Amino acid sequence: MEYNEFKNIVIEEAKKSGVEDYELYYKSSSSDSVEVFDGKLNSFASDVSGGICLRVISNGKMGYASTEYLCEDEARAIVHRALTNAAFIESDDDVFLYKSGDEYEVINHEHRIPDTDSMIKSALSCYNDAINTDPRVTSSTESGCVSAKTTVSIYNSNGLDLTNTTSLAMSYVSAVVSDGDEMYTGFEFSHEAGSKLSSDAVYKAISTIGATVPQTCTVPVIISNTQMQSLLSTFSPVFSSDNAQKGLSLLNGREGTAVASPCVTIVDDPYFAPELSCPFDAEGVKTKTKTVVENGVLKTLLYNLKTAKKAGVKTTANASKASYASPVGIAPYSFYIKAGEYSFEKLLSLAKNGVYITEIKGLHAGANAVTGDFSLESSGFMIENGKIASPIRSFTVAGNFFELLKKIDAVGHDLRFDIPQGVSSFGSPSVLIDSLTIAGK
Amino acid sequence: MVYYIKRSDYMLDATQLRDLLYTALSTGADFAEVFCERTHHNSILMISSKIENIGDTVSSGVGIRILKGTSSVYASTTDLSREGLIRCAKKVAQGLVGLPQNISINLTPVTHKYIHDVKIMPDNKSHKTDILKEAYFAARNYHESISQVSGSFVDTDRNILIANSEGLITEDRQIRSRLVISSVASKDGENQSGNCSPGAHAGLEYFQNPKHIGEEASRQAVTMLTAGYCPAGKMPVAIENGFGGVIFHEACGHSLEATSVGTNRSQFCGRLGTKIANEKVTAIDDGTIKNGWGSCNIDDEGSPTQKNILIENGILTNYLIDRLGSRRMGMASNGCARRQSYAYEPTSRMSNTYIANGPDKNSDIISSIDYGLYAKQMGGGSVNPVTGEFNFSVTEGYMIRGGKICEAVRGASLIGRGSDILMDIDMVGNNLERAQGMCGSSSGNVPVDVGQPLLRVSSITVGGR
Repeated sequence: MEYNEFKNIVIEEAKKSGVEDYELYYKSSSSDSVEVFDGKLNSFASDVSGGICLRVISNGKMGYASTEYLCEDEARAIVHRALTNAAFIESDDDVFLYKSGDEYEVINHEHRIPDTDSMIKSALSCYNDAINTDPRVTSSTESGCVSAKTTVSIYNSNGLDLTNTTSLAMSYVSAVVSDGDEMYTGFEFSHEAGSKLSSDAVYKAISTIGATVPQTCTVPVIISNTQMQSLLSTFSPVFSSDNAQKGLSLLNGREGTAVASPCVTIVDDPYFAPELSCPFDAEGVKTKTKTVVENGVLKTLLYNLKTAKKAGVKTTANASKASYASPVGIAPYSFYIKAGEYSFEKLLSLAKNGVYITEIKGLHAGANAVTGDFSLESSGFMIENGKIASPIRSFTVAGNFFELLKKIDAVGHDLRFDIPQGVSSFGSPSVLIDSLTIAGK
Repeated sequence: MVYYIKRSDYMLDATQLRDLLYTALSTGADFAEVFCERTHHNSILMISSKIENIGDTVSSGVGIRILKGTSSVYASTTDLSREGLIRCAKKVAQGLVGLPQNISINLTPVTHKYIHDVKIMPDNKSHKTDILKEAYFAARNYHESISQVSGSFVDTDRNILIANSEGLITEDRQIRSRLVISSVASKDGENQSGNCSPGAHAGLEYFQNPKHIGEEASRQAVTMLTAGYCPAGKMPVAIENGFGGVIFHEACGHSLEATSVGTNRSQFCGRLGTKIANEKVTAIDDGTIKNGWGSCNIDDEGSPTQKNILIENGILTNYLIDRLGSRRMGMASNGCARRQSYAYEPTSRMSNTYIANGPDKNSDIISSIDYGLYAKQMGGGSVNPVTGEFNFSVTEGYMIRGGKICEAVRGASLIGRGSDILMDIDMVGNNLERAQGMCGSSSGNVPVDVGQPLLRVSSITVGGR
């Protein structure tokens, strides 16, 4: 059964059941991925999916029911499930279905999705490039390409009827290098395939050969752009007004105050990447670019209709759904620390003697957005006399995210984004922290 | 009134399955498999002392896989129309180029023993709400410093059907329930959190004492609120039972999965029959434990789950091997193929993994440490299977001085290499317990148990500040 047919049955059943306020959120996507291992096409995967989330308002409460099973019985059943579920809600929060009327940005982006054959060719050449970069690269090296296209439609009883498409296409190389009995890995990804991707991944692995465990010390630390974006991503829930209002973010009540060093500016931009552009949020509100932290001062948290009403402000149109079935929550779009003025070499000379962190692991476990505390396994390089020196591994870096933001001494100009998670994507330049504790030997 | 689709309507019939398998095999694959799934996910979320959301989602789809030698092609779809399914099977076939092999398919139903009986089906929202509220308010009222509690009751009713070109056709129904309580304690602009989240492959009968679950989450948060930071450095560590087993899961378990071993991306490749751990260490992965959170009657390739002894008295005795891994490694598969849903190609995964009870007395383990860390509650962790480097966080830790447990410390993490730590586990106690978690890997997030008795690691890097 097609979505439109399903939608019409839901609307009919809703009317029959006396439901006046309802909304259908439909997310459909198709994705392909190829993976090369040992020089051969190892696996090819393809996914076509579509899920529908129905929200209904009954006695002032919002009830949800979601499904991927598109048939008539299910279309009727979800109306009643959503009604049953609404009756269990105890929260007194106001509920909203957005009314049409916004003038949305028009996105004129042509989504270019590579076909399967070119993905396979590209992954194979990434693999071969990696193998040819250095004799120490082993056949355990993997390469791959991923592409995805997602369409979101929102239709509600207030006249809203919106559709938007986003896409993603990327290649990656996970290089495995052997040296003596030891193996080393290096991962790189790029939205453009090419030999640089492979050599970057190989270089990452090779540069860690012979890494030793450093002495425990408290020193200036440069966190690389790729690792700072991971930290920003992990701690991004602290910018959610919903978490703040529930006492789950220490930024609660801090709007208008300094929360970071003056060299830090954080922006949230729904239009930064053309292929991820979102003219409306998960509630159908027109999106806009906003400065979240300006020269260290927290200008705004991220809001949806419910939390904005509670705070007495306008929504920032950051309503989001983690999956089609998730309740409406809050998430950023392209969320990044603005590039600063310093070259990477300049950051090294400012640090003089310290540590350069190029990999932080286990963020899902070793970092806590509620407390801001982190203690994370890392690897990287010593910095000696303003130059990168020997590689180091198996040490932890510990601190608190809120303190870290205030200890950023300098921001590099090498802004880079990580792999998007839905429409959220996190970016950062490399940053110099005045001091952090490194636990090694 | 029941608003759900009848279970008998869930799956495809044998004719349809055979058509899909033949279509998938049409370009020369030597094996094809169809995996059908319909899962009802339910959740009740409480925060700020009120029910805020009810989650109610039916996920439904089909995944088709073909193998040729050690290559695999996978495609999945939610479009269950005849055309949609054939399109999916054709898409899979397009991943290979060649002529069909001479394979004829005779589907023969195989039934499995249903080990994990459910006494009270988790289909009554009022009953689930009662359990959740009892735990929630026990957490909320535990101490004046508790500033927020979030709680949820989550259950799934997973129905799967697997058919393959070797003639297998089999089904399973998997019912899981879990209660998750997270408490936040606040003082002077600082937060500390605590969690307790038991679950089982069972129904509501599993939750005999919800109050205790809430109190445990809050106890951790309140304890940590007054804790200072853990000192950094190398020291002996006593790791408590239950979720402490995450140490083995991360440091060793992932490196024993065929996903790593079969592609030469594990430090344990070629080590069968050799000593990889201290002789006090015996480690087991057991997917058959009655009502275990990580248990299933059959795995996601349709084979019965097994009890696999991975390490026996320090000697590596087995790996976790799925069908594709079996081809790569030339060893038999052993019932551990898992996937989050129809959208994922299955691969070798852990189920309920634990270190067995050892010869030492728990009191001797603590009193043997002059200066070190007692890791009472562990958070999660991760590992790079190629290098064996792992990390995991200690959510509730205490310093040990002169053989006695002293003050609480926060912010500790343990890091090291799997091969080193296995040798360094030099005392193993006798209070084995398991605890529940979700494990993420290439085939998605699957429920797993980790477990161990109290044990001592002679020396490990503790991250703190």
